[in-house]
Amino acid sequence: MPRNDQSVGAVLVVGGGVGGMRAAIDLAEAGLKVYLVENMPWIGGRVAQLGYMFPTHDCVLCRGTSDHGYGCTRPSISPAFLDFNRHPNIEILTNTDLIGVTGRAGDFTVTIRHRPTYVDAERCINCGLCAAVCPVELPSPFEEKLAVRKAAYKMAPRALPDSYIVDKVPRCDSCRRCEGICPTGAIHLDEEPYERGLRVGAIILSVGYALSDPTEYGEFGYGRYPNVIHSMQYERLASRSGPTEGVVLRPSDGKPPKRIAWLQCIGSRDQKYPYCSSICCMYATKEAMIAKERIPGVHCQIFMMDERAFNKEFNAYYEQAREKYQVEYTRCRISGIAEDPETHDLILRYPDERGRMQEERFDLVVLSVGARPPGGAADLARVLGIELNPYGFCETDKFAPLETSRPGIYVCGTFQSPKEIAETILDAAGAAGDSMRLLREHLGEYPSSREYPFLWKPDGLPPERDVSGEPPRVGVFLCRCTPTLDGTVDVDEVARFAQTLPDVVYVQPLKYGCFKEEQAAIRQAIVERDLNRVVVAACSHRTHEPLFQKVVREAGLNPYLLEMANVREHCAWCHVDDPHGATRKAKELVRMAVARVRVAEPVHKLAVRPVNRALVIGGGVSGMTAALTIADAGYDVTLVEREPELGGNLRHVYYVAEEQNPQRLLRDLVNRVVGHERIQVLTSTELISHTGRVGDFRSVLRTVRSDGNVVETEVAHAVTIVATGGEEWRGEAFMYGRDPRVITSKDLEEIVVYRPERIADLRQVVFIQCVRIPNGVEYCSRVCCTNTMKNAIRIKMLNPECQVVILYRDIITYGFREAFYTEARRRGVIFMRYDDEHKPTVRSVGPQLELVAWDPTFQREVPYYPDMIVLSMAIQPSSGTEDLARILGIPLSTEGFFMEAHLKMRPMDFTAEGIFVCGMAHYPKFIEECIANAQATAGRALTFLAKDRIYIGGVVAEVDQAKCVGCLTCVRTCPFTIPKVRYEDLGVGGIKGAAYIDPALCQGCGTCVAECPAKAIQLRAYRDEQIMAQPLGGWVIG
Amino acid sequence: MSDTDFEPKIVAFLCNWCTYTGADLAGTSRIQYPPNVRIIRLMCSGSVDPTYVLKALLDGADGVLIGGCHPGDCHYQSGNYKARRRVIALKEILKQAGMEEDRVWLRWISASEGQRFAETVAKMTEFLKEKGPSPMRQKWAV
Repeated sequence: MPRNDQSVGAVLVVGGGVGGMRAAIDLAEAGLKVYLVENMPWIGGRVAQLGYMFPTHDCVLCRGTSDHGYGCTRPSISPAFLDFNRHPNIEILTNTDLIGVTGRAGDFTVTIRHRPTYVDAERCINCGLCAAVCPVELPSPFEEKLAVRKAAYKMAPRALPDSYIVDKVPRCDSCRRCEGICPTGAIHLDEEPYERGLRVGAIILSVGYALSDPTEYGEFGYGRYPNVIHSMQYERLASRSGPTEGVVLRPSDGKPPKRIAWLQCIGSRDQKYPYCSSICCMYATKEAMIAKERIPGVHCQIFMMDERAFNKEFNAYYEQAREKYQVEYTRCRISGIAEDPETHDLILRYPDERGRMQEERFDLVVLSVGARPPGGAADLARVLGIELNPYGFCETDKFAPLETSRPGIYVCGTFQSPKEIAETILDAAGAAGDSMRLLREHLGEYPSSREYPFLWKPDGLPPERDVSGEPPRVGVFLCRCTPTLDGTVDVDEVARFAQTLPDVVYVQPLKYGCFKEEQAAIRQAIVERDLNRVVVAACSHRTHEPLFQKVVREAGLNPYLLEMANVREHCAWCHVDDPHGATRKAKELVRMAVARVRVAEPVHKLAVRPVNRALVIGGGVSGMTAALTIADAGYDVTLVEREPELGGNLRHVYYVAEEQNPQRLLRDLVNRVVGHERIQVLTSTELISHTGRVGDFRSVLRTVRSDGNVVETEVAHAVTIVATGGEEWRGEAFMYGRDPRVITSKDLEEIVVYRPERIADLRQVVFIQCVRIPNGVEYCSRVCCTNTMKNAIRIKMLNPECQVVILYRDIITYGFREAFYTEARRRGVIFMRYDDEHKPTVRSVGPQLELVAWDPTFQREVPYYPDMIVLSMAIQPSSGTEDLARILGIPLSTEGFFMEAHLKMRPMDFTAEGIFVCGMAHYPKFIEECIANAQATAGRALTFLAKDRIYIGGVVAEVDQAKCVGCLTCVRTCPFTIPKVRYEDLGVGGIKGAAYIDPALCQGCGTCVAECPAKAIQLRAYRDEQIMAQPLGGWVIG
Repeated sequence: MSDTDFEPKIVAFLCNWCTYTGADLAGTSRIQYPPNVRIIRLMCSGSVDPTYVLKALLDGADGVLIGGCHPGDCHYQSGNYKARRRVIALKEILKQAGMEEDRVWLRWISASEGQRFAETVAKMTEFLKEKGPSPMRQKWAV
């Protein structure tokens, strides 16, 4: 990479969906400036509309939050990633388009155009009066036209920016009623669009996808039959925040449906859109399961071609849907729907497994619409000068999956290819990693952080005042938030009451506490009145606590000496008709907050200076890619490989379904790794122990030298990346190992490359897919179907006369890989499905191999006498994975792969901070997925390495060892197995063995606190004293 | 005190991630419910020490609501299961001590269930109104 003296330490992220947010946060944490541009008025993207995610069914309102260092995926209904918890390094530019780009990698000048929202988000207090007076009603696109909105509106109760906007649609005649009623004067209907130039070093495209248009398929009656809806409409109906609050009802009569059908592949895998949209099989399964949970006795039937459940825990989810939830799956592509005009019931005709025609009525039909390139993709490509693939998505190279055709511009998420959330997150973190490598000289340039201590370089804020020993001097600030709060609550009466509370020395009502000028007033009062505790009675902790924490910190107080009383969301807004009761409750809330803050103590975090080194375990394509990204960014790497040489599985991959040469990739990677001055390569080496915490891990490595001597080395490193890969299972199945004609797909690849003449002699080859490990957990190995396509096509190319038969369960050629399935069929490969009831059998009959398979169409057994049987063996975790998991103290999934912190939102992290996983150690995946995944872990690692200091601890549990009896209750109760009883620590009465909770690992739930029989554990900022102070002291009468 | 002017006092221990946020959503969505609940925010329902509940009852609460994430949805993986286990034990203890265990409610309310939060408070208020003031409160009132 050429040295780039002119580069700029800023990144433009285009698209504010889950991917864009994820990339933005990682970049910001690495100390780069980020401009997050979104063309909609609010960020959140497609995921904001979803009610639940497969296969976890959790809404990830919390796991995806910025509180854990992640952008929330669901700002529409989520409190997280809200305005006041926003990262100081991220500038969010909504309602904004990218209109021009000049320059080159490292130094681009981009032009953006902001369309007016007519509302100043800084001054909008979300009172909703503008929407109340607005006379214009329109169908809501966010609710997929299932509800209406005004022209002055907010997408959802919680959105980011947390503000209403005015959409000056043609029907808005600028009646200006909204402008007149706005209590803060935030609406300016004369606002003009403006353009702005930005200098950035890199650009990340995360522009998502569009839904297929179901009206393109007139035969399904969408738009004509009221009870035919598309899947995103179903998502809104099933969402608890949707128009029907999670109750799915038939649009024609508002009744709960008794029979629902899902039709798969609407706008996917057809003549016009020949690719697979990758997500529909799983989301339809999820939607059917939700229906089963919500509507008693409902019948759910999914009509599909293949069930593509190809990721971690997806297969178990699919099984659960079939077995536990009794969702019926029918293998058929429905060609049309008829409607009963009387009842608006829908009639489906389909052949069953035996080919007999069936006719069934359904109350509701959901069309599982696929993914299209995002609207405006062609224009965007033109502006950016990047290429699109034939399907209209972003063109990338297999071995550089996150790079567009223009250097310095990266792509992530569904704009690259249709994919689910977890993979979008991986891509996004990977694109951020790529950008960090490009802008390596600027890492750490903006050392701001979203949470206390707000900066990771100790400057910029006044020193923290030591308040220990001082009697509490509480200041109470009451926000009027006119009229949303004081319209219901008598703020002056609450203020008078507050003055009577113990230790309250100062009370001040504020007009709008979130306005900058009022924050200055709080800071001033803290200093002038010598306050050492602060209560802000305003809105929710979840939205505004970080803001006011920062305000008190700027005035020299520890942020945990602040308490908020939630008198808006929890009081004024939900007791509008009862001002008396609301005022009484507000007083009570203020009294509780004062009681809690009086006994509050400062909370500090521990600063760790990160060691300038990463440890990467595993020298395959993933490990080498991660090592190179980190080393290129300017940090040292120790790369450990168990085998005597680097390369892993890639050494045995000779060709791929696409055109690229994997052996060239291998040579390239190995040469760059071995030649890199920052990478220390240790082959024939294994990890023996791993201790310490993020920023300062210590590992012992054991190397077997070529002379047979064993050497142990200790390495200090800030982060650890696990890239130990997976391997093809080899065991007895279908006469494998007993007859040389039965081989694995890996063996076949060697034959094709080294002895292609053997292929020329073949008359018939049978592939058997999904060869499972006996008694093992069933899961999809993801890569085998495409591998088989590639091998089948090779055989047909070398020997067109050879008959190729593929026995499969489901063909998993997701995304654009569908093209290889089509190509195999075009070349005359025969496909035959089998299931668990009718597995093929193999035996030798004299000199011949006999394979008997069940033909489901003719309902009879078919014998084959092939020259070669190729088995697609399951991919299992590398041997030794269990030992490594034990050494690292990280969990394994049911399939035996490493178990990440969260399946969807944190696919490369563990709950133990500073340890990451990538490649096949996570789950079987393709080379391009391994590369993106490796870059993601490298990017995550760089967010720690780039920091001056890593702050750990904070609101965590703390053991008073003098009280600990070493009973192990905390050890057993902790959901994360963090507490340890250490022999060297002294417990009650000086007895050896007391509990210790590592502040770097504690997640801060407080479960151990509640369980500890000796009351020896306390959660900082939530100490018993603080909690119990709240109900204490009687109730406000009146 | 007649039934009509009795205003029950409910102390609610809510987890930060689900129920507290669900209560926020009730507010942002302007869903109305009776102003009889006082919310105490904790990180997890699993951190609700039974003594918190007892303390609230002894301090004069007519009811205690504990709110957590739905089973399987806990931010801390299993804190809500611990809460469930503990509440069952606590109710047993209350019963044996001659206290009314039905004044303690445990409910799963997610962050997107503002409606459910409001309904729960309304139902609990109604229930406690019918039940009358906590005898504990009368005993302890000076």
